[in-house]
Amino acid sequence: MKKYLLTISAVLLALWAWVGCTDFPVDEDGLLITTRGECYVSNFELLGSDFQTVRTKAAVIDTTAQTINVEVFYGTDLKNLWPQFSLVTDAKLDPKITGRVDFSDLANPKKWTVISGNRKVEKTYTVYLTVQPKP
Amino acid sequence: MKLKYFNFIFLMSVVLMFASCQDEEYSIPAAGTDLQNDCIKRSLGPNVVGLNIEFAYAMALPRDKGKLVSAQVEASIAGGSGTYLENRSFYTNSSGVDVGITVGNPSSTNGTKTEVTFSKDTCASTLRYYYIIPEEARGKSVSFKFSAKDSNGTTVSYDMGPYTVAKMDMKLDMVLSDNNNMYFSVADMAVMNSATAAANPSKVDLVYLYRSYTTVTFLHALVSPANSEYLPGVTLPAGVNNSTPLWKVYGLRDQQLARLQYGIYVDDLDFTQEDFTGAPNYGINMKAESGAWVQTADGVYRAYIFVNKVDNTKKEMTISVKRYKMK
Repeated sequence: MKKYLLTISAVLLALWAWVGCTDFPVDEDGLLITTRGECYVSNFELLGSDFQTVRTKAAVIDTTAQTINVEVFYGTDLKNLWPQFSLVTDAKLDPKITGRVDFSDLANPKKWTVISGNRKVEKTYTVYLTVQPKP
Repeated sequence: MKLKYFNFIFLMSVVLMFASCQDEEYSIPAAGTDLQNDCIKRSLGPNVVGLNIEFAYAMALPRDKGKLVSAQVEASIAGGSGTYLENRSFYTNSSGVDVGITVGNPSSTNGTKTEVTFSKDTCASTLRYYYIIPEEARGKSVSFKFSAKDSNGTTVSYDMGPYTVAKMDMKLDMVLSDNNNMYFSVADMAVMNSATAAANPSKVDLVYLYRSYTTVTFLHALVSPANSEYLPGVTLPAGVNNSTPLWKVYGLRDQQLARLQYGIYVDDLDFTQEDFTGAPNYGINMKAESGAWVQTADGVYRAYIFVNKVDNTKKEMTISVKRYKMK
């Protein structure tokens, strides 16, 4: 009996040591680097200062051309918008969105780079904003 | 040596078990033998001038020890007109309705003191006190001393507070209407028509308009006079040209403004912490139960405008406002 207990304890200890010492790579943000190579935006939302959507319809995301086309309501305050990206699993966005973003310079659309889970694929998406025409 | 440690640990474990498993029996508290009192504050939220602070003051003594003679409240600052102490004691019936039983004469207020003299032979009563917050209390603290007297001459008292009275102002249910009373002044907390706006152009902070288009959603809007882009078809009186920064807000249904079931309150602190850097000077498509933080062009006032309701047919918007003087 004592022998069995000792064996089980030794096995568990070895297992724990192995798990504890396995090196999970993390990136500079402390995020796990995985094996996934997928790299795309799956959904895009744009909120106003009142945290209500300003889109007139769903944003058109072209993962081949790496563009996002979104039309916003007439009267939207373009200087204070809050973009929200949904990304494929494990991917991350650069630069990070930390607050309101100024989209008012429509001639120079904003760009964000999606970085895959394995951190080896990077795709830069351009967000094209159009405003509903004045009535 | 090992046995010594074992004994120590075993003893500690037993002590721990004993302590954690001890069953404390409940016993009904013994009733006091003298006159006693207790008080709770019933009203919630910031104490705004003009509103009331409501208390429920309970007093009792054993039936065979006498009866209640009087109840009194003394406020540190005399209450506004309408301050009173109930002369009815309430109980809640089976339908959940509060039913009042008259136990005393209507209260009399003399300066800071409000008193009810009992007219019924009663040994237990709960009276409500409604303190109307006076202008003198704005930005100050107010406290209350509740006291009761029985037929033996015994007196008990209960101190409540201090409660800080907010600096902000509040005004409810102002109706803006398109092409008529369409101007709003934060400084005056008032809706104006064209003639009044023309006479006080510097006081006009926002213009209300309603526009219905088939291609875009405009509907109810609050726009600074300076922003002609979003004032289609509006001819402003001469000199009306303020640019008022405004943040649209959704879901901030202040209880005192909305009078709905949401326990959210805008208080003095919220005004001081609002940052209007980069704020637009217009808000279109304003919906019922939405709102807007605004700051007057001269920076003297900040306000939270809550939209109580909108009427597309009448082209009207009903607003309630809390306003804070910044300087």
